Amino acid sequence: MNWSDYEAAWKRQELPVGIDADLPTLRATFEAKSRKMHGASLVRDLTEAGAGLAVVGAYVFFWWQLKAAGWPMAFAIALILGLCGFFARERFRARRLRLGADAPLLAKVEADIAELRHQGRLVRTVWAWYLAPCAGAIAIQVAAILHRVPSWNPLHRPAVLLGFVAFFALVFWLVWLINRRALRKRIEPRLDELEKLREDLLSGS
Amino acid sequence: MSPPPPSESVFTSWVEEHRGILVKVARSFTGSPADAADLQQDLMLQIWMSLPSYRGQAKPSTWIYRVCLNTALTWRRGTARRERLVEPGADLGRLPARGASPAEAAGQRDLLDQLYQAIQGMPRFDRVLVLLMLDGLAYREIAEVTGLTENHVGVALTRARKRLAEMMKGAADELE
Repeated sequence: MNWSDYEAAWKRQELPVGIDADLPTLRATFEAKSRKMHGASLVRDLTEAGAGLAVVGAYVFFWWQLKAAGWPMAFAIALILGLCGFFARERFRARRLRLGADAPLLAKVEADIAELRHQGRLVRTVWAWYLAPCAGAIAIQVAAILHRVPSWNPLHRPAVLLGFVAFFALVFWLVWLINRRALRKRIEPRLDELEKLREDLLSGS
Repeated sequence: MSPPPPSESVFTSWVEEHRGILVKVARSFTGSPADAADLQQDLMLQIWMSLPSYRGQAKPSTWIYRVCLNTALTWRRGTARRERLVEPGADLGRLPARGASPAEAAGQRDLLDQLYQAIQGMPRFDRVLVLLMLDGLAYREIAEVTGLTENHVGVALTRARKRLAEMMKGAADELE
């Protein structure tokens, strides 16, 4: 047996019957998938933008309450708006760089690897671009309130302040943990798989 | 803005004309007829979804190979079996051979089974290359599908063919 025998057998193979395209089913599946994808995307965008705008609204309210002494809140608002801008930029970047299924195989694999590496970098540095601005904004808010109403604020009590800090530390730690888990369970295995694919494709020896 | 709806007539005629690509890719990248049917459905769906982005820069067959192979390379078996587009009785695992006597047909079927089994056991990009080569694509066309240079295709194909020959050695002994 040699290559010609394989080629001959391959070319002589009969195609099975009954695989004709079922357009109504395909259309329904396509529409359901599109709806699901657009729905998920809309929910995510609205959640991110909505959460950011809600926090900004709350900070504006604080500033208004604190009057002129609330000027440091401008920094907190800038941090949150910067974070919203970062999310939006990331979303546009991902859409711009995404390659369709009709791209050449190598280009598609390399684009997917680049995107996963980028996602991995974002997850690894989540403390810098997400947690630090959030913590900074909260710290500014607390400092502004303490400065304006020193006698009233319960955060002057060390136990309350400690509890407040511990609560946010726990929340931030959980966020970091969830991100690390996503990196370990989803991004890294997929990246390994795609890198192996690229290695297979490029190894000529 | 969402893309314009794919042209149904183009889709139908392409799937009909190139259904061999779908069948062979599906069988080469799966281990069972049920999985092959699932993958085949995903291939069709992906072609349908990608059709609005076809700009005529590549031949339809090259474009379909790209879509199918990109999909197959990253395909994972679904947890729930979806509704089949193939007849439940259609046995993708044992396709008959064309224009042969019953004995020859049985021999052809065995050889094809062994061939598919060997292809399924190869690294995924070797599967791609062997499949494209067996389908009679020229180096230039394989390069268009894969994005590799023609020289690289030549080198990689030599390796893949060697690997296939080794895997088929035992099978050929059985058949002879």
